[in-house]
Amino acid sequence: MKNTNNIFLSGLMALSLLLSSCTEGLDDIDENPRNISQEQLEVDFQNVGSLYKPIFENIYQYTPAWSYQLQQNLNADVFSGYMTNPRPFVAGANNTTYNLVSGWNNFIWSVPYSNVMNNARTIENETKDKFPELFAISQILKVTAMHRVSDVFGPIVYTKFGESATTSEYDSQEEVYDAFFTDLEEAVQILSNNIDSPRFTAFDLSYGGSYEKWIKYANSLRLRLAIRISKVNPSKAKSEGEKSLNHPVGVFQTNEDSFFVNGTLDHPIKTINNSWGDIRMNASMESILGGYEDPRIESYFNVSGVIEGEHKGIRNGLPLLPGYDDELAQKADYVDFSLLSDQVLTSSVQLMTASEVFFLKAEAALRGWTGAGTAQANYEQGISTSFQQYGLSGSSNYIANSTLTPKDYVDPVTPSNNITALSNITIAWDEGASNEEKLERIITQKWIAIFPEGQEAWSEYRRTGYPKIFPVVSNQSAGVVDTDIQIRRIPFVDSELQTNPDGVADAVIKLGGPDDAGTRLWWDVPGGNF
Amino acid sequence: MRKSILIFSVFLSFFIGVHAQEKIISGTVTSSGENAMPLPGVNIIVKGKTIGAQTDFDGKYTINASLGDVLEFSYVGLTSVSVTVGTSDVIDVTMEENLEQLEDVVVTALGIQKSRKSLTYAAQDINAEELSKVKQTNPVNSLSGKVSGVVINRSSSGTGGSVKVTLRGNSSLGNNQPLYVVDGVPLSNPTGGQPLETFGDINGGNRDGGDVLSLINPDDIESLTVLKGASASALYGSAGLNGVILITTKKGRSGSFKVDFSSNVIVENAAYYIDLNDEAESNIEDFFDTGVTSITSVSASGGTENAQTYFSYSNTFATGILPTNDLKQHTINIRETAKFFDGVLTVNASVLATTQTIDNRPVSGLYFNPLVGAYNFDSPGEQLSDYRNFEQLDPDRNIQSQRWFRATSDIEQNPYWILNRNANEDTNRKLLASMSLNFKINDWISIQTRGTYDQTFLGYDKEVHATTDATLAPENGRYIFNEQDIRQIYGDIIATINKQFNTISISANVGASTTRNSTEIFNADSGTNGGLQFANVFSIQNFNANPGVAISQSSLEKRVNSLFASTTIGFNEKLFVDLTARNDWSSSLPSNNNSYFYPSVGVTGILSEIFGLGDATFGKVRGSYAEVGNDVPANTVFPERRILFGGGLDPLDPVRPLGEVRPEQQKSFEVGTEWRFWNNRFGFDLGYYNTSTVDQYFQVPVSTGTGSVTVGVNSGDIINQGFEASIFVAPIQTENFKWTANINFAANDNEVKEISNPSDDVQIDNQVISPPGVNTFASYLVEGGSYGDIYAQVVKRDNDGRPVVEGGAIVINDENPDNTIAGLEKVGNANPDFTLGWNNSITFKNISLDFLIDGKFGGETISMTEAIVEGLSNNTQRETSNGSIEVVNLAGDVSTLTAQEYYGLAGGRNGFTGEYVYSATNVRLAEFAVGYNFKLSENSFFRGIKASLIGNNLFFFYKDAPHDPNVSLSTGNALQGVDVLGLPSTRSWGLNVNLSF
Repeated sequence: MKNTNNIFLSGLMALSLLLSSCTEGLDDIDENPRNISQEQLEVDFQNVGSLYKPIFENIYQYTPAWSYQLQQNLNADVFSGYMTNPRPFVAGANNTTYNLVSGWNNFIWSVPYSNVMNNARTIENETKDKFPELFAISQILKVTAMHRVSDVFGPIVYTKFGESATTSEYDSQEEVYDAFFTDLEEAVQILSNNIDSPRFTAFDLSYGGSYEKWIKYANSLRLRLAIRISKVNPSKAKSEGEKSLNHPVGVFQTNEDSFFVNGTLDHPIKTINNSWGDIRMNASMESILGGYEDPRIESYFNVSGVIEGEHKGIRNGLPLLPGYDDELAQKADYVDFSLLSDQVLTSSVQLMTASEVFFLKAEAALRGWTGAGTAQANYEQGISTSFQQYGLSGSSNYIANSTLTPKDYVDPVTPSNNITALSNITIAWDEGASNEEKLERIITQKWIAIFPEGQEAWSEYRRTGYPKIFPVVSNQSAGVVDTDIQIRRIPFVDSELQTNPDGVADAVIKLGGPDDAGTRLWWDVPGGNF
Repeated sequence: MRKSILIFSVFLSFFIGVHAQEKIISGTVTSSGENAMPLPGVNIIVKGKTIGAQTDFDGKYTINASLGDVLEFSYVGLTSVSVTVGTSDVIDVTMEENLEQLEDVVVTALGIQKSRKSLTYAAQDINAEELSKVKQTNPVNSLSGKVSGVVINRSSSGTGGSVKVTLRGNSSLGNNQPLYVVDGVPLSNPTGGQPLETFGDINGGNRDGGDVLSLINPDDIESLTVLKGASASALYGSAGLNGVILITTKKGRSGSFKVDFSSNVIVENAAYYIDLNDEAESNIEDFFDTGVTSITSVSASGGTENAQTYFSYSNTFATGILPTNDLKQHTINIRETAKFFDGVLTVNASVLATTQTIDNRPVSGLYFNPLVGAYNFDSPGEQLSDYRNFEQLDPDRNIQSQRWFRATSDIEQNPYWILNRNANEDTNRKLLASMSLNFKINDWISIQTRGTYDQTFLGYDKEVHATTDATLAPENGRYIFNEQDIRQIYGDIIATINKQFNTISISANVGASTTRNSTEIFNADSGTNGGLQFANVFSIQNFNANPGVAISQSSLEKRVNSLFASTTIGFNEKLFVDLTARNDWSSSLPSNNNSYFYPSVGVTGILSEIFGLGDATFGKVRGSYAEVGNDVPANTVFPERRILFGGGLDPLDPVRPLGEVRPEQQKSFEVGTEWRFWNNRFGFDLGYYNTSTVDQYFQVPVSTGTGSVTVGVNSGDIINQGFEASIFVAPIQTENFKWTANINFAANDNEVKEISNPSDDVQIDNQVISPPGVNTFASYLVEGGSYGDIYAQVVKRDNDGRPVVEGGAIVINDENPDNTIAGLEKVGNANPDFTLGWNNSITFKNISLDFLIDGKFGGETISMTEAIVEGLSNNTQRETSNGSIEVVNLAGDVSTLTAQEYYGLAGGRNGFTGEYVYSATNVRLAEFAVGYNFKLSENSFFRGIKASLIGNNLFFFYKDAPHDPNVSLSTGNALQGVDVLGLPSTRSWGLNVNLSF
């Protein structure tokens, strides 16, 4: 008995030892030492510094290329009339035929939110008080990314980003644009006060740390946004635009000022274009550049494999054409149309050029904004600056040409796609023309100059109706999108409908129309431009 | 913690000894016959007195008795023995098998043998002979139809593939597979990953990472016991949540030296795939090979009374039906048992080592799948075999480049090119070393301590040659290299008490265990963008130094410490009460909330002994309730941010929990009854269970406007309830002619009662099981739905059922918005309503005949294969009158399309998959074996020779789907109820020879 009791006593003691050891040694196990902890991240201030690179490289997403393909290439890059897909994805029932693929369009939303907005917020929290100019840069980048998103959907989550851990409230597009102007104004002021600080140099993928250049960019961007709202709110547009035009540092003057992201990866379209054969020249590009005998066609596109020595574009919005068994058979015939040239697909991604700013100023002049200069001078400098960008000569002859017009389009594979040019606008400035004609001239040249940035080109097409690009061959929107005035926006994304239904319902009210691709955005006012 | 101490004290207080007088009798109880073994747990009572005892693990007992007393020895399954106490103090007893009782000892949790009658939960076992009748390379495949409530889905990855085992339905978004326990020790069963999406994985295709069971030699298995519910497994901790499959391996036996040799050769052919037109059919028939599998194993066992040895070696060589696919596997297993200090200390040590190499393990889905090109081959005047010569010299590059009859695409390439120039190799190894020490402290207490080192190494290597389609590899090719080293160290110490107090027997265990898991992953992939410096050199140093390549390491660790106790209290051998309690402390939970306690209680009454019931030989009722807690995967609570190779910080924060992470919980309840009649010629076991899994750790998407994309929350309530029955009948039992049959039936009903907790901020109504990606198949867990619901794109039809076609396109049905998620509508469920297996064993003199008819009833499956291959399939007559289909437009105007036109519109991976939904109901002749047992003379060199002809998956009595619905693209949770160019299921024949000498 005694022996038994001893056993139990020692057993109990062993158990209580075990109990205490049960909880020991459990801490600090649950980590993955191959990843980076917050403590490790704070060394060299990388908790802030390392966040800029993902922001830079996801405004216009570098990688993976398929994600960029869905973020922009299979929507704005096509809707802008710049490019189109030789393969009729989903048997022709896809974005380009207005049969919108919601699974694709999620990326337009998710890429900037989960790569730009979240990191910009962390930077704001870490730097706003301590290093305000680092905060200012992230604000400029944030506006760069998010105005593109708002220009696709209209209302977006911006001023109330991150306020709740589970749902989010949208701002109307007007509120968002107001916030953009406020954020840019604040950023310009902060940078102007710290203009010589070298603090951002190590993290800068655009301007080597020059705050002066950043101020120029912020002013130029503000001018772009001001022009965008010039129809819906002319007085606000004028006052914001004039702030930029009359700022001591000013806006872009030369190509060295242009805003490029000098990433470490290939241009995403390079993979889509060269490796996958999923994107080619658009028929509208062929019609306008070809009609103008524009030398930039050689910088933008390769000659095609279908007609020797010629550049050949493809009509956008192609269905699965009669006579083709499947997508691949059709692609096999169209893949030899003109590729985009490697000249525009370098690892530097173009987001805003000096030539664009001259065209913005040309329009500002038409609208009578102080500090814009004359429309003609800006228009012509816009063209010559664009020629310079590609190292091309002959801009003065080009500018002087008053006879060439966009040409008719011929599809050598499927003649039913042939279409006559929609405009006879010429190149040379005509001071006696109507403002509407002048604007068509300005926007048509701006459209040529800012290639391949399809997002801005599509936004400006919607705002102004220029240039007159070809409509889709097949409109599968069941009457939602008018073929002639083309697609106006993209509906709110599925991921938001599923995770944030109340937020989206409120956003639809703020949109002011049905949540479909035919509803005009706030700045998209129908009727003439003047 | 305080609660746990209290419980242990309560348990311990049971064991205060009772002392008696008179003299002490001791002895050993053994079984009779050739395989004589000591019998633990034999009940000994002194007739007419209230004194009782039980034998220990070595069959030894002591009891106080007087001269002239009668000792009664009883043991379930054996004939009771009475011995009168004489002058000797030692009474050794041999007990004969009682043929009237069936397989009455089962191995239960922690490797402890229990009499079947004392079990308070459902357990069903299957012995070595049954397993090896129709041998399968993965022994778990043999359970289908033989154990009620086990749903087996084979993977479509051919020989060496993993198996999805579902016991009592699915409940978790994580792991739904049972725990495998080898000789009492939980086995780590890492899977090298399973496919998720129908499109496939661009990083090598939808591949099966394999499982641990395919690394075990089926000939080493003595028996498999299936503990179906959580109550059976509460003592294994969280891993036993989905039930447990106990594997008892063979041990050496004293006395006789024995050698067994067995050899199997199995040939198989692609048998069950879609109906193709003549040309495509001949191409496909020509494409697939005849697969040959040979399994050879030899084992030797023997030893003295104090030391026994078992040794086995086996190898498997297989070539699959997919050209170039082959498998080589070698397994050795050594097991030593020894007793020291007069039996006070028993030492058991074993080592199992396996190496396995698989070339070109088949993939499903669209990427890197040779079947895409093989099925879609359509070149007038040519045959697929013309492209066996898959490459030609490209003089511009001086390189062998891919040949195909048209431009390749992301999904379609020359299948022979894929097999030879996108080849992959899996290299898997397993080492399982374990040792146990058992100290017998006295005749009723023993202490056992065990340790296991369990290492699984999974290697994968894919070499994608230059001129592979550009979406899959850049111009110089692509190299993917992955290694996973998964280790589990398990240790436990358990005190076992077996004590009889008068008519009350107590068998109890108290113990502690620690489980330490670590996973090291190394992955290198030159990617679709990064590329290689020199063409076709497959090494990491040949990677381009740019951020398009992916090189990463991951290192995770988890530790769970546990205390547990269990006891079975028997009253008069008629009523048994089972109690278990366990507390786990897990490193993967927040340190202030890392402890969770879970108990179980069960009771069973042996009605036949309590009441004495006429024709019934045996009858009992049982009931139990169990809770099981569960932690979360390692590195869930506060994961660090990732670094991208050459790309700086991962732009996205890792998924983090929204609030405090809590342990998950499962509550289950079961009742059952078991009866046997007429000297065991007939018997049945019926059971009902109900399981509720709550507070799962879900990863849920939130509005990206929050700053996160996905957050973790504990929520949900998934209920499984069902009915299980197994019936045993022996209609003919004469000396020369015996026929026994088992019928196994099970029905499971799953209900997703809740996804979100109403009190939580995050209100979600579904969880994604298979994401649709860009194709039109998905599986979602939806509140009010069932686990395994499948979603497809459905055609809008008018009131007369005619499809609506507008502007040359079929219109999507919009009339069922409540059952529609992102444009896909619920069209069925991948799981069967019920399963029915009928297993027969007939012997006539030396001839044996075994066959198994296996049926699954209910459920749906989608053939995306058919949708993709639509143009070449042979279904022009489907749903048509004379090959034409009436359709209407939105205005209601009727027109006619040919079937070819209609299905041309409906087909495709992202087409109207709702047109390709089939019933998954199927009944098949799953196993068939005819054997001859050679009668040998007494002095023959051989002890036994048996030869048999076996057949597997021979034909379907009924099947609606074009593919075999018992095959899954994934043995994880995703991709159930869909076939996307999976390897066709096969029919196989084989020859099996067993020699023992």
